[in-house]
Amino acid sequence: MARLDDIPEPTRTAVRDIPCPSFETWPFVTGPKLAERRIGIVSSAALIHRGGTPFPFGSGEARAVPENWDVRDILTSHVSINFDRAGFQRDVNVAYPIERLREMAAEGVIASVADTHFTVMGSSDPKDMVESADAIAASFHAEGVNGVLLVPV
Amino acid sequence: MAHMLEERGLPTTALALVLPQVENTRPPRAVITPFMLGRPLGEPNDPPFQRRVLMQALNLLERTDGPVILEHFPDDNPSWFDRPGWQPGVSLPALAIPVTTAQWQAAFAAELALVLPVWDRFKARFGRTTVGLAGQTPESWAAFATSFLDGALPTVALHDTPALALRFLADDIKALYGEAVQADGPPPSARQIDTWFWRRTIAGQLLIALRTVAMQSENNALKTVGGRFFVPTPWLPV
Repeated sequence: MARLDDIPEPTRTAVRDIPCPSFETWPFVTGPKLAERRIGIVSSAALIHRGGTPFPFGSGEARAVPENWDVRDILTSHVSINFDRAGFQRDVNVAYPIERLREMAAEGVIASVADTHFTVMGSSDPKDMVESADAIAASFHAEGVNGVLLVPV
Repeated sequence: MAHMLEERGLPTTALALVLPQVENTRPPRAVITPFMLGRPLGEPNDPPFQRRVLMQALNLLERTDGPVILEHFPDDNPSWFDRPGWQPGVSLPALAIPVTTAQWQAAFAAELALVLPVWDRFKARFGRTTVGLAGQTPESWAAFATSFLDGALPTVALHDTPALALRFLADDIKALYGEAVQADGPPPSARQIDTWFWRRTIAGQLLIALRTVAMQSENNALKTVGGRFFVPTPWLPV
């Protein structure tokens, strides 16, 4: 894990004690070998395309991230100022590994990469993201995604 | 989100950065990494390292022994620690804190003039910039930002309110300086970048001053964003 002792306060306490949802069911979906998987990404970095509108604070919305966005124009509008931006400044893949997935698809490690990925504001309450989950699932099912990579920041 | 997507019939695997959250939510499949917040793949510009992280997470998709599979990634990312002997590639004069708004504007504009050519080198080297949230170009930053010190409440077309305009300008200022100081040579640690920005630059001191003004403002939105989103807590004046 990120070393809690290395995370400055008040972020340390906030990430440690943030209320987490509890569940009554434990869904666990299985599928084919990795080489037969079409992979979609869900990033919590509140990604936007250059010139786009940043995510509002507390937003539960999910926005589509087209696979063909030029990585040079992908920005993060995440509300938190308490996590590192320097890595993302140098390399989008450190938080949104789209180029790594493309390489894996070209090599046959995975079957393919989704045409449309998604991004949310990671600090928002999951209870406000139910409609977003519906929209993400509908899009991924429609294009045959059978493996979702969740990438929180 | 993992739970909700699995409920909707999609297999998921997650990269997890905060162990207590993973222990509480118990997602179906997750790789718990030792990386700093903001770097879920660990190491920028290191495709082999990123690929190791990804492969461990994606391989979990083939597992059938759920409903909860949690693994740890074994290694730190190499750039976690401070780089010995690192010196910022941006040469700035000794820090002198301005007093008047006119002095702040002049000092920030003069500093930006030194930083911008170095930032250009960053863009040329890495082929990208994350500056672009403010809705205005760096040439207008000094006059726009320092006007808040006098109580002005300007905004720009991209943002609905002065509070949001200044909040995202603060993000762009930090991004531009953070990129500039990484323009040359091997990268410093995140902590070295922050120390330089918040202790050695007029821009960092200006954001601290703007936070003070914002928190005294009668504009509640500005008060809120100024207090929460300009200056990380570790860098507030003691």
